[in-house]
Amino acid sequence: MMQAGRIAWKTVEWVLLAAVGLVFLFPFLWMFLTAFKTMPEVYQFPPTWWPESWQFENFRIAWNSGPFPTYVMNSIFVAGGILILQFLIAVPAAYAFARYRFAGRGWLFGLTLIALMIPGQVIFLPVYVEMSHWGLVNTLWSLILPFGASAFGIFLLRQSFMQVPDEVIEAARLDDASEWKIMWTIMVPMAKPVLVTFGLFSFIYHWNDYFWPLIMTNSDSVRTLPIGISMLKAAEGGKQWNVIMAGNMILVLPILVVFFFAQRHIISAFVYQSK
Amino acid sequence: MKKFQVSMLACVLSVTAVLAGCGGSKEAAGSNNQAGGSSAPQGQTASAGKPVEIDFWYALGGKNGEYIEKMVKDFNASHKDIVVKPSYQGNYYENHSKVLAAVTAGNQPDVTMVEVGSIGAFADAKVLEDLGPYANGAEKQKYIPGLLGNSYWKDKLYAVPFNRSTPLLYVNRDMLKAAGLDPNGPKSWEELRQFSEALTKKDGGKTSQYGFSTAIDIWFYEALVLQSGGTILTDDNKQLAINNEAGKAPLQFWTSMLKEGVMKAPPGEKYNAWDVAKQDFLNEKVAMIFSSTGDLRGLKEGAKFEVGAAFMPANKSYGAPTGGANLVMLAKSSDDEKKAAWEFMQWMTDTKQTIPFSLESGYMPVTAEAVESDEMKQAYEKEPNFEVAVKQLEYASPRPMVPGYKELQEVIMTEIQRAVLGQASVDEAIQRADEKAQKLLKK
Repeated sequence: MMQAGRIAWKTVEWVLLAAVGLVFLFPFLWMFLTAFKTMPEVYQFPPTWWPESWQFENFRIAWNSGPFPTYVMNSIFVAGGILILQFLIAVPAAYAFARYRFAGRGWLFGLTLIALMIPGQVIFLPVYVEMSHWGLVNTLWSLILPFGASAFGIFLLRQSFMQVPDEVIEAARLDDASEWKIMWTIMVPMAKPVLVTFGLFSFIYHWNDYFWPLIMTNSDSVRTLPIGISMLKAAEGGKQWNVIMAGNMILVLPILVVFFFAQRHIISAFVYQSK
Repeated sequence: MKKFQVSMLACVLSVTAVLAGCGGSKEAAGSNNQAGGSSAPQGQTASAGKPVEIDFWYALGGKNGEYIEKMVKDFNASHKDIVVKPSYQGNYYENHSKVLAAVTAGNQPDVTMVEVGSIGAFADAKVLEDLGPYANGAEKQKYIPGLLGNSYWKDKLYAVPFNRSTPLLYVNRDMLKAAGLDPNGPKSWEELRQFSEALTKKDGGKTSQYGFSTAIDIWFYEALVLQSGGTILTDDNKQLAINNEAGKAPLQFWTSMLKEGVMKAPPGEKYNAWDVAKQDFLNEKVAMIFSSTGDLRGLKEGAKFEVGAAFMPANKSYGAPTGGANLVMLAKSSDDEKKAAWEFMQWMTDTKQTIPFSLESGYMPVTAEAVESDEMKQAYEKEPNFEVAVKQLEYASPRPMVPGYKELQEVIMTEIQRAVLGQASVDEAIQRADEKAQKLLKK
């Protein structure tokens, strides 16, 4: 009896999970299938599920519509550069906020939280003028530096550093470990799931970012993938959805791969947080 | 001591975080020199013998964007003393924000595309160069008069026509023929209603095919107001002029057709609604739609039936706004750059360039000479649909272009959609738009 009840419950759980999963999966599936269709098939009604013939041509058209290898390299460099800079700044900042009592701590942390709440669109003009003043407009620096210090990262890491037991740090100090060493060899490894999750959020956000790179750059040599994809879209007239979707596939594929490998850490980060 | 160090560290880092939030970190200044080297030189002035470099920002993606890049390459190849650097800047509106930011920072382009309705706002902000001294009135002979309306602001020439479109009526000729109707399409609003009635099919209680469909968009509303003998704004541009018979007629027409069940208002925000209308047309779910000249090629390629383009039907007269973008010169450029910029703007809109650009993109040719040319005539003979837009220009009017219209058009659009959806009566909707307009046009 107990057994049957549990099986029924499990079944309900699975059906619900599958339904939610499908809701999230469907847009990706539709993008994938559209990317392989011909133009008339895209507009066909009722729509076909499976492409009548698989058009790998769409990918070639998308890839050849601009200097895509450059876009890819720039995207990796920018998203990766931001990530490294954010870690270098957020880890010490979060450690100080989490583990030390010093004058003005609350006030400074408050400032960090304020930075967290200011939306990018509000400040794009002053940042643009500032970057322009330094001669950085139309360079990759203007895409990386404004995001170097992440208030969100500092906040997230501080919470996770605060959960590290005091005894661990006391023990390390007794062993004469320097603060620097404690930070990098004890705190960071213990916060690994949070670091991975934050890194992933940051990477995806900047990988997909369209507005900022568009505003800051003028030449193809310093532009990123999302701009290349948006160039596939005509303003008026028929949009070639199949080619646009092929471009989007190129854009999201690296993210899906990263997700696949980081999945374990993401789950443990959220479990850890809710403990 | 250690405590002090840590507090300093936290201090520096959190200040950095705030600065980053409000505009780049201080460390960035250090890397200035190093990174500055890789930045592209902006707006070089010409020294003896060196070609003048000018920046050109455009706002068309897809095949049209590729074609613009090709045109610039041809220009550079044929002009040894000028180097134009083209740069894609997103859609019209993204380009507009970027141009304004760049003007503030002082690294604006020399030539850019501006959507026709926004030229007044840019000219009013004193961002644009007065082109009068360059053109000396020659623009009146060169360009098609119907396309020049959006080039002037307060009697000064600020822009030349570049990629220009106008709304048209597209019909499924096969369906019209099958129903025994004139395959050239309806000529008047009354005929549009009759055609729609004849072309609407009902399966049981459900409509399987609508006669007519259009996005309830400001562009089409402007067209129908013009057809009813009205204008959107008063002549002095100070007031909304739609609180009258001409302003209400389009809404009464649309709502009555919707009530009758012979017209479909496609769902979706802005251009999504256009896409739904086009998709329904291609799938033969509707027989006639309003859409841009720019869609002609796409619709022809996607359709399994004969597509016809026609004038938008007349109420009191024919009428249509124009759309698309013009080329403008930035006031902040140096004299050398301005000279080069004018040369470039002239060349891009010359007959020799506008003909292939028009044939390639579906936008209208912009010079009077082009329309009369053998090349264009041959193309029109082969594909008469392409000529419809140019012929309709005889009845075209410029779009309103006062600075406040950018926001006002959103207000009008919201109100007319409320009326069409039955959330407000026609009178109420127009009244509300009028009240909101007072504030927006006061500036």
